[in-house]
Amino acid sequence: MTVHTRHGDASDGALAQAVGGRLSRVDGPAKITGAAKYAVEQQLEGLAYAALVESTIASGKVRVIDTTQAEAAPGVLQVLTPDTIISLRSASDWFGTPPPDKPYCPLARDITFSGQHVAAVVAETFEQAVAAAALVKVSYDETPSIVDLSDAKAGDGIPVDAMTKEWGDAPAAFASAPVRICAAYNTPREYQAPMEPHGLIARWEGDHLTVWEPSQWLDGMARTYAEWFGLPFENVRLVSPYIGGGFGSKALALSHGAIAASAAKMLGRPVKLVMTRPQTFTGYGGRAATRQTVTIGAGHDGVIQSIVHRGVNETSIDGMWVEPLGSVTSIMYATPNFSSKQNVVRVNSVVPGAMRAPGENPSAFGIESAIDELAYQVGIDPLEIRLRNYAEQDPHARKAWSTRQLREAFAAGAERFGWARRTPEPRSMRDGNQLIGWGVAAGTYPVRRAYGEAIVRILADGSVEVESSSIDMGQGTYTILAQTAAETVGVPADDVVVKLGDSRFPRAGVTGGSRLAGVMTGAVHKAATSALDQLIGLAISDPRSPFHTLQANTLVVSNGRIGSPRGDGPEVSIAELLKSVGRDHIEATGDTMPANSTAEDRYKNYTTIAMALPHTEGNYSRHSWCAHFIEVRVDEDFGTVRVSRVVSALDSGRLYNPKLAESQWKGGIIMGIGQALLEEGVMDRRHGRIVNDNLADYLVPTNADIPDIEVISVGIPDLHSSALGGKGVGELAIVGVAPAIANAVFHATGKRVRDLPITLEKLI
Amino acid sequence: MTKIPIHLDINGHRHELQLEPRVTLLDALRERLGLTGTKKGCDHGQCGACTVHVDGERVLACLTLAAQAEGRTITTIEGLAREGELHPVQAAFLEQDAFQCGYCTSGQIMSAVACIREGHAGSDEEIREYMAGNLCRCGAYPHIVAAVRQAALEAAS
Repeated sequence: MTVHTRHGDASDGALAQAVGGRLSRVDGPAKITGAAKYAVEQQLEGLAYAALVESTIASGKVRVIDTTQAEAAPGVLQVLTPDTIISLRSASDWFGTPPPDKPYCPLARDITFSGQHVAAVVAETFEQAVAAAALVKVSYDETPSIVDLSDAKAGDGIPVDAMTKEWGDAPAAFASAPVRICAAYNTPREYQAPMEPHGLIARWEGDHLTVWEPSQWLDGMARTYAEWFGLPFENVRLVSPYIGGGFGSKALALSHGAIAASAAKMLGRPVKLVMTRPQTFTGYGGRAATRQTVTIGAGHDGVIQSIVHRGVNETSIDGMWVEPLGSVTSIMYATPNFSSKQNVVRVNSVVPGAMRAPGENPSAFGIESAIDELAYQVGIDPLEIRLRNYAEQDPHARKAWSTRQLREAFAAGAERFGWARRTPEPRSMRDGNQLIGWGVAAGTYPVRRAYGEAIVRILADGSVEVESSSIDMGQGTYTILAQTAAETVGVPADDVVVKLGDSRFPRAGVTGGSRLAGVMTGAVHKAATSALDQLIGLAISDPRSPFHTLQANTLVVSNGRIGSPRGDGPEVSIAELLKSVGRDHIEATGDTMPANSTAEDRYKNYTTIAMALPHTEGNYSRHSWCAHFIEVRVDEDFGTVRVSRVVSALDSGRLYNPKLAESQWKGGIIMGIGQALLEEGVMDRRHGRIVNDNLADYLVPTNADIPDIEVISVGIPDLHSSALGGKGVGELAIVGVAPAIANAVFHATGKRVRDLPITLEKLI
Repeated sequence: MTKIPIHLDINGHRHELQLEPRVTLLDALRERLGLTGTKKGCDHGQCGACTVHVDGERVLACLTLAAQAEGRTITTIEGLAREGELHPVQAAFLEQDAFQCGYCTSGQIMSAVACIREGHAGSDEEIREYMAGNLCRCGAYPHIVAAVRQAALEAAS
């Protein structure tokens, strides 16, 4: 359980406290003083430490695991292999698909990728476990592996029919178009690389399992653990008070969790297992490598007549990951003819996973690069061509946008950036030996809607308490839920305590796809409204209340005090009122589920993603939008690219807390700069193994790589998207950054780089 | 492996430990002393999350054996605030929203305090360069620069 009792920033001011105010993070004081205890930092008696042993081949079978030396090593308590670990049951997937009726073993005998867990050592100390793990000897029967998409054995893959989107006759319209462009765009394997490595502490008490684990989805992960161990859902408790970054990678229970929980059960002691940094590159999947071809047929006026799009992403040998590559292609521009299809290709890799804006991110790299190419082909300004092809409604769903402030984003960004001063010719702007390029690109992300629950309590001292099993990995959930409860009940945010990150609290679905803020502010608003109604009801109906003689609906609560809105009559604090009516608290549960929902519906909603509402449900198509304007400086001799200026205008609807939303937007843009210029998983082709599986060789942006970034909010409240009018924040801002940089690099150098990342050897 | 006695002076408190010589300062802090404010991000000196001060200088606790810190003065994030008052760098991080998930934050703050003390916070360019050893995957860099700038100006005035 996590409690934040007061705010430490005197700069906030009174206006910051309500929804929409710039309140500083309420979990900030705990984080800046080191007091915040992350999941694996819990101090438990009798803790044992586990270390993983991983496959060194990418394909084949384990022949023998020799544990003799490891078992004899000092402090070793147990060595787990596929032969000695307890048998688990298979668990359902995140759609809730019933699992196959066969046992599940988190340690592999059949190897399908390098870095697969094959054994684990548990010892008294971390150092003993690590030392003994190095003594486990594994021999293999190796078979040829498929390294990646460029491997000759990879083939064309499997069509994913669900990804096909078509209208009109795109190939015919393309063939007859006066202007035609066709190009291939590639993105490499990229990794979430959160600063906190994945890990957990598992503890059993009888048939109850407690897992302290960083989690973007407590209820979903609790379900998986429950199914693995054949337990009732209620017997598993997930605790995740803070999450040191996730970016999509911490939403699912993974095999290392099954290993640690099995070890704890077998040993009868709590077990802690934290992945090493290299293990985080193979213990779960990053963003799949992708290939796209985008062909656009247009008139000489730049108006698009046809788009034909083909995409491929890699998946693993025995798992399925689809990175929806046509997601932006199909909605960004108006076109009468469209065709998008996608295949997946199996390679010897861990199954890829979600990473910031899965689908939309690589999709935008394709279409937002291609439209820039079209702009140059027809000689129209890259901003102007986007306006000429502006989609006035969702071209695929054929529905009105709920809100689309993209035109406003282009205008605000261009104005602030000074786009009008751009000279269109490549290599036409320079500063000494630096070629300067200005690029623009748009981004979008759908509004994913789901349901949530919360409890709001008004306590005897007049303070308010909020509980939810949702989480805060830096997006600001603690803070915006405090603001929501404060505004709704009528107390200062300082008097609200928000408790998150414990699966014993009212349930919440996955924190992903930028859905949490909209879902949880809605649930807290509903619960808080209900608590307020109870409070006012008591004030009016209880004979002991000083307001007993008043009529209904004439009382308001403001700044923790209850009274008449006209200021006449009595006024007392919430604490005084509760005391006078003899109540020690008021409690209300709020959820946003449909009224006739069954218990099974609720369970399914919070533990699977099957119940999420489509973003095109009803009459509207709901998306967040953004436009990035980016300046690069390219050293003419060395080909080094530096991003020197970023102005982004974003439409996330209403912002619940602009201070925190701006931080998330900038973070997305910075991750996009890394994607454009630095990030790439490099494979050792002999062994099918990632070479740069650490933070010195897998390059992520450092402070010295990042200029000042200006973000502008152009959103308006969108009540079709959420109860309080917000759309999505966290995923949006990365979408479109990489193509804006690639477009700027083209403007600077005249070289079109269609393979990310844009490294110097591609420019000299 | 034989344990050796190690005395550590951390945040003004003396700790007597029996540790294997291979135990790092980081694991001594986190796993033996419950001082988990210092974070482990990579264990290889690549990310800066474990930055602490030893005799006033910033060092990576994951690349320092506990035995190397014997008899030296160690300050961790838990020892930065004095008598409940936030250090000016901590206050600036909160005001500027210089973090999101918070996992790199202890290391950023310890680096920032040293960066200012070293005289390497004279300009935004200099701050970016001298704070480049502390990775932040949430991407709080512009706000970290703003926080260090603010704290440096306060320290100078």
